[in-house]
Amino acid sequence: MYQALLTRRYLTSKVMPLLAAVAVMLCVAMELIVWSVMGGFGDMLKNSGRALIGDVSITYQPRGFAHYDDLIARLEADPLVEAATPAIETAGFITLPQNRGQPIYLRGVDGPGYARVTNYAQSLWWKPLAQPMTKDTRREDPRLRPDYAARLREYEEAGLSLTLRRPEDPEPHAAVVLGIEIGHFNSRQPEGWYDPYLFLPGQDVMVYVIPTDSRNRPMDARGLNFPVANQVRSGLFEIDNSQVLIRLDALQRMLNMDEARRIAPGGSAGSFVRRVNPETGREEFVQPQEFVTDPARVTSVLVRGRGADQVPRLTAVKARTEAIYREFAAAHGDVPAAEEVEFETWRDKHATLIGAVEKETVLVMFIFGVISVTSIFLVLAIFWSMVSEKTRDVGILRAMGAGRAGVAWLWLRYGLIIGLVGAVLGGVAAYSVVWNINPIHDWLGRAFGIVVWDPRVYYFSEIPSVVVWWKAAIVLGGGALASIIGALIPAVKAANMDPVRSLRFE
Amino acid sequence: MTMTLLAARDLRKTYRLGRVDVPVLRGATLSVSRGEWVAVLGASGSGKSTLLHLMGGLDRPDRKGGGSITYDGRPLDRIRSNDLDRYRAADVGFVFQFYHLLPEFTVLENVLAAAMILHGRFGFMRKRAALEGRARELLAAFGLPHRLGHRPAELSGGERQRVAIARALMNQPALLLADEPTGNLDRATGETIIAEVARLRERTGQTIVMVTHDPEVAARADRIVHLRDGRVGE
Ligand SMILES: Nc1ncnc2c1ncn2[C@@H]1O[C@H](COP(=O)(O)OP(=O)(O)OP(=O)(O)O)[C@@H](O)[C@H]1O
Ligand SMILES: [Mg+2]
Repeated sequence: MYQALLTRRYLTSKVMPLLAAVAVMLCVAMELIVWSVMGGFGDMLKNSGRALIGDVSITYQPRGFAHYDDLIARLEADPLVEAATPAIETAGFITLPQNRGQPIYLRGVDGPGYARVTNYAQSLWWKPLAQPMTKDTRREDPRLRPDYAARLREYEEAGLSLTLRRPEDPEPHAAVVLGIEIGHFNSRQPEGWYDPYLFLPGQDVMVYVIPTDSRNRPMDARGLNFPVANQVRSGLFEIDNSQVLIRLDALQRMLNMDEARRIAPGGSAGSFVRRVNPETGREEFVQPQEFVTDPARVTSVLVRGRGADQVPRLTAVKARTEAIYREFAAAHGDVPAAEEVEFETWRDKHATLIGAVEKETVLVMFIFGVISVTSIFLVLAIFWSMVSEKTRDVGILRAMGAGRAGVAWLWLRYGLIIGLVGAVLGGVAAYSVVWNINPIHDWLGRAFGIVVWDPRVYYFSEIPSVVVWWKAAIVLGGGALASIIGALIPAVKAANMDPVRSLRFE
Repeated sequence: MTMTLLAARDLRKTYRLGRVDVPVLRGATLSVSRGEWVAVLGASGSGKSTLLHLMGGLDRPDRKGGGSITYDGRPLDRIRSNDLDRYRAADVGFVFQFYHLLPEFTVLENVLAAAMILHGRFGFMRKRAALEGRARELLAAFGLPHRLGHRPAELSGGERQRVAIARALMNQPALLLADEPTGNLDRATGETIIAEVARLRERTGQTIVMVTHDPEVAARADRIVHLRDGRVGE
């Protein structure tokens, strides 16, 4: 009881312990800000990863595999799988307006199916916007303009179906959707929107691919003209800079992966028939030939799991996908065995990037954790001198009958309250910084020319940040704990003071 | 109920200064009866404060051959330190030369602190009203009813010592130990305070052991003992 009253009085009459609270506050705020921003960064990275390939991809390069419709039907029948879609992934080259050109990563997809497995619909860039982007306070984004809305809506639909219908051309045309950074036709504004230097949708581009023969040997490059239906922004710069989406059937044709009839040796192997050669009139043994249908092939099937944003669930979806593929391979003689096929989750695909961010987070947290240890010593130093200064009070309390435990508790309790005050203030500070991190960042840029996070360069237009309650709880608890640990030694010192000596203390 | 409240027999207390043993008490024997007022006189450094600390359970006699000290039949030199804490809280009231008030507490809180320590958080909360009433009464009796919310630093020496006495009496201890309570005050103030203590004693029969330099103060006591060469003599 006296402890409560005394700590309250010490709190209001002493400045030094408030410095200890400030130290705890700074450490807590620092840790929480770093953790939140890095965590937000990691989350965005993962979301982008998921946006591109869904949860799990089944890939067999470069020949691909047939009967994918059956595989998709089997996958979608499973309760763990939400949707699956075919895709072809291949390297290519693109020539763009103004004689620009570059190598590309070409992905043939079925638009609506791809949108069910990935966040394709959301990442399509050219579409009418009702609300401006967070930073675009002046509403300069051309997508906001009402007079563009109708056209943008057409391009949005064209992007989703990867099919463009031109007014002068009655036939709808298979189209491509380019990554937003391809060819540098759009310049990224500090507010995050794109200013098109040349508006690509509706323009024609030439896409080149290299088909392979049945033994995986590259054949001559094949190029075709396609209209641009839209552009896409995943948030991952390397992808937005190189990925081109194309309608699956068009790419299948270009790569000779579509359904085809060919002449093949007939009969069983080694069974020859006798035939008279009409030119020579001689009798010969020849192998009979017949027409066979080669089914269409894809290199990948992309799978979206149910609730697979959690890692254990993701692993389960991957395992299930493999199992289903095994059944599928057993049912068809002409598809590659499961061992030859690659099963990858989005985490596997972006393992280097995700791993780097996760390691960086751990490293930075460790460094700040070490820095936070200094707050323990700060509390210790301040409490040590407080206890020394208050030696006489300890003697007085002991003379009045206070026990050693009671005296120790007085200082521990004081440390706890200093820690709690610091932790809560730190939490509030961190929350307000994280909440306003983008305005703060802008202000730093304006006032001092410090731009840490240039949206023209980095993946994300905004510094991603989320304060997660359990992270806050851990960091705040850690701050309070550091303060108690710091107060522990002075508390023991006070408890062990000889009361008579304390009373004689001047 | 025996007549003797506190009996110290053959008390020895030695301080170590580096390698040198400094014997302060060398067989001090003193017994205090219930209701008695004993004045302890002695030269500076003769060990008066030391004796008082031993009687008040603030310190213990030498481990070996330190003598015995019993309060109401309880051996203070042998009980556990928790029990000694309890003894100081419940049975003893200390008054010191330099007041020893808690500077962050108000006058009323300084007096109540004694009750908080004795009763603990819940006990104190339960009896709060009664305890506060007693503290106010005590402070009023010592002429400080209007200074309850003041800090010790805002009081004169005499007022501070009155607060210290009120605090010492808060838990109605059987034994009041005062170490030169007027040593830091001017003669007139000292005399008024001693007169107030004497009046209180007439009313309540409080047992008092008071260390003093002042023969006039000592004269008010029932009995005067002298501490000389570490022993108590009449
Ligand atoms: N902790 C200690 N360590 C060493 N010596 C001590 C200690 N405490 C007291 N002494 C010594 O013990 C002797 C007695 O001290 P004490 O305070 O009991 O004397 P006193 O009679 O109360 O003196 P005064 O009248 O000046 O208050 C002194 O010589 C003092 O120096
Ligand atoms: Mg003394």
